[in-house]
Amino acid sequence: MATTADTLQAHGEAHHDHHDADHKPGFFARWFMSTNHKDIGTLYLIFAIIAGIVGGAISGLMRLELAEPGLQWLGSMVEFMGGEGTFDEQGHMWNVLITAHGLIMVFFMVMPAMIGGFGNWFVPLMIGAPDMAFPRMNNISFWLTVAGFLSLIFSAFVPGGTGMGAGTGWTVYAPLSTTGSVGPAVDFGIFALHLAGAASIMGAINFITTIFNMRAPGMTLHKMPLFVWSVLVTAFLLLLALPVLAAAITMLLTDRNFQTTFFNASGGGDPVLYQHLFWFFGHPEVYIMILPGFGMISQIVATFSRKPVFGYLGMAYAMVAIGVVGFIVWAHHMYTVGLDVNTKMYFTAATMVIAVPTGVKIFSWIATMWGGSISFKSPMVWALGFIFLFTVGGVTGVVLANGGIDDNLHDSYYVVAHFHYVLSLGAVTAIFAGWYYWFPKMFGRWHSEFLAHLHFWVFFIGVNVIFFPMHFLGMQGMPRRYPDFTPAYAYWNEIASWGYVIMGASMVIFFVNVFYGLFAGRKAEGNYWGEGATTLEWSLSSPPPFHQFETLPVIEEHHTADDHISGKPATA
Amino acid sequence: ANPQSLEGVPNPIEMTAEENAADPTISAVEAAEGTTGETVTTDAASGYTPLGPDMIKGQPVSAEDDLLGSMTFQPQFTDIGDDALFMHDIILMPIITFISLFVLGLLLWVIVKYRRKANPVPSKTSHNTLIEVIWTIVPVLILVVIAVPSISLLAKQYKSPPEDALTIKVTGYQWYWGYTYPDNGDFEVISNMMDEGEALAKNLPPQLAVDNRMVVPVGEPLRLQISGADVIHSFAIPSLWFKMDAVPGRLNEKTLTIKEPGIYYGQCMELCGARHGYMPIAIEAVPRAQFEAWVRGQPGGTVGEAAEDAAPITETELPGLQQPESAVEDAPGAGLPPTEDTSPTT
Amino acid sequence: MAGAKTHDYHILPPDIWPLVMSFSALTFTTGMVFYMNSTPATAEQPGTYTFWPLIVGLGIAGLIASFFSWFSNIVAEAQAGDHTPVVQLHLRYAMILFIASEVMFFVGWFWAWFDFALFPSTLTEVVDGIWPPKAIEAVMNPFDLPLLNTLILLCSGTTVTWAHHSLINGDREGLKKGLWLTIILGVVFSAVQAYEYAHAPFDFGGNTYSSAFYMATGFHGFHVIVGTIFLIVCLARTYKGHFTPRQHFGFEAAAWYWHFVDVVWLFLFVVVYVWGGWGAEFH
Ligand code: HEA
Ligand code: HEA
Ligand code: CUA
Ligand SMILES: [Cu+2]
Repeated sequence: MATTADTLQAHGEAHHDHHDADHKPGFFARWFMSTNHKDIGTLYLIFAIIAGIVGGAISGLMRLELAEPGLQWLGSMVEFMGGEGTFDEQGHMWNVLITAHGLIMVFFMVMPAMIGGFGNWFVPLMIGAPDMAFPRMNNISFWLTVAGFLSLIFSAFVPGGTGMGAGTGWTVYAPLSTTGSVGPAVDFGIFALHLAGAASIMGAINFITTIFNMRAPGMTLHKMPLFVWSVLVTAFLLLLALPVLAAAITMLLTDRNFQTTFFNASGGGDPVLYQHLFWFFGHPEVYIMILPGFGMISQIVATFSRKPVFGYLGMAYAMVAIGVVGFIVWAHHMYTVGLDVNTKMYFTAATMVIAVPTGVKIFSWIATMWGGSISFKSPMVWALGFIFLFTVGGVTGVVLANGGIDDNLHDSYYVVAHFHYVLSLGAVTAIFAGWYYWFPKMFGRWHSEFLAHLHFWVFFIGVNVIFFPMHFLGMQGMPRRYPDFTPAYAYWNEIASWGYVIMGASMVIFFVNVFYGLFAGRKAEGNYWGEGATTLEWSLSSPPPFHQFETLPVIEEHHTADDHISGKPATA
Repeated sequence: ANPQSLEGVPNPIEMTAEENAADPTISAVEAAEGTTGETVTTDAASGYTPLGPDMIKGQPVSAEDDLLGSMTFQPQFTDIGDDALFMHDIILMPIITFISLFVLGLLLWVIVKYRRKANPVPSKTSHNTLIEVIWTIVPVLILVVIAVPSISLLAKQYKSPPEDALTIKVTGYQWYWGYTYPDNGDFEVISNMMDEGEALAKNLPPQLAVDNRMVVPVGEPLRLQISGADVIHSFAIPSLWFKMDAVPGRLNEKTLTIKEPGIYYGQCMELCGARHGYMPIAIEAVPRAQFEAWVRGQPGGTVGEAAEDAAPITETELPGLQQPESAVEDAPGAGLPPTEDTSPTT
Repeated sequence: MAGAKTHDYHILPPDIWPLVMSFSALTFTTGMVFYMNSTPATAEQPGTYTFWPLIVGLGIAGLIASFFSWFSNIVAEAQAGDHTPVVQLHLRYAMILFIASEVMFFVGWFWAWFDFALFPSTLTEVVDGIWPPKAIEAVMNPFDLPLLNTLILLCSGTTVTWAHHSLINGDREGLKKGLWLTIILGVVFSAVQAYEYAHAPFDFGGNTYSSAFYMATGFHGFHVIVGTIFLIVCLARTYKGHFTPRQHFGFEAAAWYWHFVDVVWLFLFVVVYVWGGWGAEFH
């Protein structure tokens, strides 16, 4: 029986050989006017890497300053930015650094990498579609993200109160962000969020439409790869959460500039309202940042165990459950604002519920490996690292979920430790797992597996050395968003800063590997991971043709959710 | 002063003190500060003696002094703190450690047992209803085990204080704290960070020590009413398991009963601008008699009958929006006074 | 493009407008920042930016040009037959999802409204623990112009449906009449709303009531204007002979949007005008 895979492969390659060059538009048209999901995905990935370098470099400045008690470096940073270096300017500079770091990492690194980059590249490929539903809108999503990033960068060079730049924290709490920050910087920051938010909403509409309407014939929702499921759920979270943020930050804008008093107590406004609106968006946002990671990990674990995903439906609906419950737990970020006791009890209980579907995912990944025949290629090693590190970050989230415990831990370094475990060690690890999984697919050449493994180990050690001691600091009471600390906190802070050096070394390995792969890497074949890789992108050449699936692939009755190309009969 | 000669102060401080002294802002501030008096002097007449550094009970532990101690919570000095610490140390910590190690163990197990060499032919199992039900139900049960004591802990934390509890109003300003004693003549104590050099010289922890502490009676329930004058601050003392945001336009109330006399340090824990890191909190808990003596020493401080008519602040008095009339200009930590925009328009 | 295409999806050639529109948006927001930081309220701050009109103008011009060209292209593609049934389905999904996100946007404003109305601040005399706040001496009588506006919008809902039925039945004249009426009703609504703003017994901002009132109704008004423009485009297309009884998604999208705007108004009317002003003096 001629399998779908063979036909597709043949078609793809023939196409590649004959038409490739004539299809591709010229440089400017190709990269600035793109309507091709793979090119736009690549643009997003490049953008995310640049933002990651900027955000990572800023965190380097932060760790440098926090290496010792006292203010060592902020003065020079202020002077470098053209300020005088007064004490208040230094304090403000710190706030600008953490704000920029948080916003860049969240909105311009993780989201563009996962959704814009991998989502754009692989959702159409995995569902057997020739492109996204709205290729032009896809492009404006990308460029609006760039515009948002630029707006954020502008903000650093204009007055923002006690110094240059927006120093409000990534949460932009009023009234610090309204009456507390005079000058255009915060306005630029707010518009940065408007622009990036509009981009994401359009992206969400595009993904949902694509996934609902453009699946290959025969690919029912329940046969869709889990990565696609994860992007679908993520897109819904974006669609429903971001507009509320848009409303909230618009209120900030009018409070700042047009005398409204949404958050201004003197007009009867309520700063806590801002927090409700922000976290109604903000909590779903944290799942927006992790769900696509979950999806990638599922693909990778199945591929390298050579087994179908264990409990496919449970996995898909666990993500749906996480998405739904994610909308009703927001006030766990606000336990100390003076909520009444019943509210705190409700949010304590509701928050903990999320551990259940998340546990289903963790255990199903392990069960997928159970009985498998595991090969430890680099993506798999990153995925294993993810599962462990995310669990550590997740369980500290459960500690924080207890309103009575959070009374001590809120706004301490324990929270910083928690969210870096799920983000910098969770989401970022998933991004690297996806990167090595698909790098040869996207660019047609192999990275060095040795360097990829080395990257993992050095990174793994580095980030743990950075962030594990932060749990201790937090329990000891060290507040977050401090440029300076009492000497008792010096020891663990110094260790964390050394960890950054280790982590930094791993990033050097990463970039060497990228350049090695792009320019000297061995050519990659279509399905270079072999037997375990069963989704549709593996039926294409590496890189896939400029326009793939010009004849749509067909998912036959006998194909299971985990197996779209080999045509083996369905199992158990 | 050579900081190295001070006990328990690690080396890096040397730099801090010097650098700050070299900073023109700070030294000007230091000069002004010399004239504003300090609490750490004995007022023999009133019978109030400020507690010395030996009475510091709530402060972070340095890793050099106690490595294990520096890796967990500060010792607790309230009943709530004891309960919460129990909840964390006996329930949460073991559970999350176990879960993390369990996941790690399973991972290592599959890595060893099912590596390609050990198991060349993969199984095709992709369903097992029983195991899926188990890994849904067991976490639910674990969470119930966590939730029940967690909810009762919350209930305890929210016990309101008795009618006659001493009321103290805490106001967060950019960037210092104000403590008003409505039951004792409604005077306000303004508390700024003590200059680091001075703190070190007095053997107090830098960045935690303050010029004027919030003095309270030990062992009795206090009603703290917390608000912010300009932006949100947060009144947080780790060793008392106490944290409440100081939100402009809101009056948050919370009970605090300190079990032992002593000094308890805390810091502002909500981002509030440039000097967020420099508005520490120091609570000095002393026996009732000492407390009353301290009150009498305060300008306008009254005890007993005279104080009786002073009712707890009612919300109509706009406590959240008052001006920092007694703010010491240019004191360390006291930045620009709140601007027009943040003051009431009434 | 590609010769071998055997599916019905719409594969597009490269296009400059997304780039232009993005950077026009950035130009616009940048100009707005400068504008907002050179108003009298903030004049004493470092740096006033008097050149803002240039930047804002440039941004708006770019946005208008992009919208116009982009949508013209879509219309042209529709006329050229690129909108196969599956592509039309895409458009339907997109419009519904877009409206869903708009709903969530209004959720934010209603959230603020309910917060203020249910928990009026006791800490400032501007509000003084009552709703509508003390500073609001009188509110608009909901059963005066707002009720009229409610009727106008409800009518416009029926006229747009009339237009739709005519279109489906091939009655071009009915379509034109229905659209004209809807547009006129929309414009009248906006005019009444503008009149009402001009004669309102309270100013913009300064307290929670007038902040939430003007922002919520103002954003609604903005949506009415957008919806009206959308309908005007449909009318123009009708005169150009576009739309067939079987394929007229542009019209349907405009109608959906119009209904959405209508429903938001009903909520505003009930929550903001009637319930939110209950017990207060009428103006
Ligand atoms: C990717 C991002 C991400 C993810 C996935 C999570 C996941 C979770 N988070 Fe986290 N969180 C953040 C990002 C994230 N968080 C950020 C950025 C902040 C700070 C924002 C700011 O203030 O700046 C924050 C802050 C934050 C707080 C507020 C702390 C404070 O400010 O005081 C709380 C409190 O409840 C919390 C809880 C949780 C919980 C319960 C989960 C759960 O979803 C975790 C569930 C996972 C597990 C539990 C592990 C796996 C499960 C098992 C192995 C099953 C068995 C387990 C049990 C029975 C317990 N988070
Ligand atoms: C995804 C989110 C993310 C990530 C990855 C990180 C990464 C890091 N963060 Fe950050 N952090 C936040 C989100 C994140 N952070 C947020 C939201 C806050 C709160 C801000 C606030 O208080 O308002 C914060 C705050 C914060 C603080 C507390 C500041 C304070 O409270 O005073 C500190 C202190 O050490 C810190 C350090 C670091 C360090 C050393 C890293 C290092 O791990 C960085 C190393 C860099 C990387 C690991 C990224 C490399 C990635 C790429 C180069 C892209 C690759 C892309 C592809 C392959 C496509 N961060
Ligand atoms: Cu005050 Cu932070
Ligand atoms: Cu959350």
